[in-house]
Amino acid sequence: MSGVNLNGIVKCYGAVEVVHGIDLTVAEKEFVVLVGPSGCGKSTTLRMIAGLEEITAGDLTIHERRVNRIAPKDRDVAMVFQNYALYPHLNVADNMAFGLRIRKMPKDEIKTTIEDVAGILGLTEYLDRRPADLSGGQRQRVAMGRAIVRHPKVFLFDEPLSNLDAKLRTQMRAEIKRLHNRLGVTSVYVTHDQVEAMTLADRIVVMNDGRIEQVGTPMELFNNPANTFVAGFLGSPPMNQIKGTLTQTGAQVGDTEIKISGAMNGQAGRDVIVGIRPEHITLKASKNTSALPIDLDLVEPLGSEALLHGRHDNVEMVFKADTDGDIAHLSGVNAVHINPDLVKLFDAETGRALNFGA
Amino acid sequence: MAEEHTTAAGQPIQEAVIEAQEAQRMPPNDGRWTRLFDHFKREWQIYAMLLPTIIWFLVFLYKPMYGLQIAFKDYSIFRGVANSPWIGLEHFQTLFSNDQFLRAIGNTIKISALNLIFGFPAPIILALMFNEVLHASYKRTAQTIVYLPHFISSVIIAGIVITAFSPTAGIVNTIIGWFGLDPVYFLTQPQWFRPIFVGTGIWQEAGFGSIVFLAAIAGVNPSLYESAVVDGANRWQMMWKITIPSILPTILIMLIIRIGNVMEVSFELVILLYQPATYETADVVNTWIYRQGLQSGQYDLAAAGGLFNAFVAFVLVMTANTLSRRYSRTSLW
Ligand SMILES: Nc1ncnc2c1ncn2[C@@H]1O[C@H](COP(=O)(O)OP(=O)(O)OP(=O)(O)O)[C@@H](O)[C@H]1O
Ligand SMILES: [Mg+2]
Repeated sequence: MSGVNLNGIVKCYGAVEVVHGIDLTVAEKEFVVLVGPSGCGKSTTLRMIAGLEEITAGDLTIHERRVNRIAPKDRDVAMVFQNYALYPHLNVADNMAFGLRIRKMPKDEIKTTIEDVAGILGLTEYLDRRPADLSGGQRQRVAMGRAIVRHPKVFLFDEPLSNLDAKLRTQMRAEIKRLHNRLGVTSVYVTHDQVEAMTLADRIVVMNDGRIEQVGTPMELFNNPANTFVAGFLGSPPMNQIKGTLTQTGAQVGDTEIKISGAMNGQAGRDVIVGIRPEHITLKASKNTSALPIDLDLVEPLGSEALLHGRHDNVEMVFKADTDGDIAHLSGVNAVHINPDLVKLFDAETGRALNFGA
Repeated sequence: MAEEHTTAAGQPIQEAVIEAQEAQRMPPNDGRWTRLFDHFKREWQIYAMLLPTIIWFLVFLYKPMYGLQIAFKDYSIFRGVANSPWIGLEHFQTLFSNDQFLRAIGNTIKISALNLIFGFPAPIILALMFNEVLHASYKRTAQTIVYLPHFISSVIIAGIVITAFSPTAGIVNTIIGWFGLDPVYFLTQPQWFRPIFVGTGIWQEAGFGSIVFLAAIAGVNPSLYESAVVDGANRWQMMWKITIPSILPTILIMLIIRIGNVMEVSFELVILLYQPATYETADVVNTWIYRQGLQSGQYDLAAAGGLFNAFVAFVLVMTANTLSRRYSRTSLW
């Protein structure tokens, strides 16, 4: 049974189409993350699921029921907003009880529900406080609590962590993941932060310009990006993309040939984009690797690893290398060695992945 | 407004931070005066911008207060303010043994109470109603129509009211006539003065007064409503549980200001609408002062009446502000 199903969903504001026919099935209990650059239509899609925006065309079903024309309150979804949307004049307990009171839940039931959820979220001692007297992380938790107490079929999150500082964000991210494991509610989560997407998602939906670029598990997307956009969006730093031409054994990049596993099927001469993840290099040559000379211009130590910024044939590239506790030995690097199994190829025109052999 | 309310508790922290930052910029063992001097030197532009307001207050509100002393003097124009002899509270004794003055106080309070009960909620209700109107151009037209009377001078407003309630040609009496009833001489009958006066005030000012509440409503975070929609609230529930609590600070501020003006019944409208036949219910402190002081030349007695008026208003504002600050964390100062 599917939790949420989008079938050819289109959204127009007046004459402008901003979401161009999205197909997506979110399985029950699945945690799906919509990720993409600003303005790509993530929020719009989420708000159409919530019922806050009208759906211009297509079918939306929640638990097998078509809900296009169903009011938000009858869709049985709960939404967590970016700015938390807490009622400033109500204390934490009343904020969490808001939806339940509107649904006329009996008083004692409300009380036990709130106490349970406050316990789960570590909010028990703050139930009497107003939102203004809470920290950002606590407010965030109240917003989640307000969604949880309703026991909805689907949770919708619109960038819920973007107002928190980096440390708190990491903490809350883990907390959301734990909550999802515990409650097992179908969730659709919007973010523009690829780390959040990678860490939280069962499956990631990469969106760009009102379209879905690729759907898959985080590792699928990381290992086999469907196109240059996904390749450039996931991973940090993103995949290096270099223009080149196919040869019988690999790709010619400037005056260097990078060997690539898999048969090229006689397409030599075709223009391609060669994708190399920053982490898929070694500093020492070994069997099968090809050397890519680079002019190193910057070493950024991160601790156990360092980022090497350099140029090959005037194309800027970034690579990751182990420091082994010291970066002195990295300053002399003048070439990186590339494993032929890990190189990706994309069509130079369409940007689509070319799946030769591998 | 709503935003201010939310951060109310955070405010002192911010101030403390700013103070701490300023303290850091100062050499540690400078004296208070040096600090003050530095402060003025640094922020003089802000004080310069404040100056015209301060001057306006001094010239037009504080300097005339010098003349208030005649409330305690046997004032004559020939001797002048400074040379008239002091007579203590004699004018106040005269005032409080004057039946007409006491009646004027009673009338002022009654009219103000009616104004507060009916006139104060009117713009709030109007704003809430406008907020529910979804059709944009209908809303704009309706707003313009209700704002309009505010821009019409009181003289014309009074003219319209007098015409409307006229026993011969007035629309009101025409309608009464349709039911076969005799015309009523509204403006000469004391029992009709207060309803007509308060109603006119609402007609004239409710629309314009709703602007401040509409602005407050516009400031409410829209995701509060979206969140409530997803939670299943209807428009009525959203109005009671989100809109009204969110604009409550604005409502309280406006109420405090209003209470401070309790003694200031809009005096020109009274003068324009009342006549000796309706003095019994229509004569308020300000109109009494006007007749006594300016028309009969008893400036000192009129000053005493005015001072009393101001004193009552002062006490009322202080009380309202203190209560509001204590119970709702909202206050004018
Ligand atoms: N009410 C509206 N009227 C017209 N266009 C709109 C409206 N709301 C959104 N858009 C447009 O729709 C597109 C998608 O917006 P949306 O808010 O879904 O982006 P997003 O992916 O959530 O971006 P962000 O990461 O910045 O939140 C944008 O180009 C935006 O300009
Ligand atoms: Mg968004």
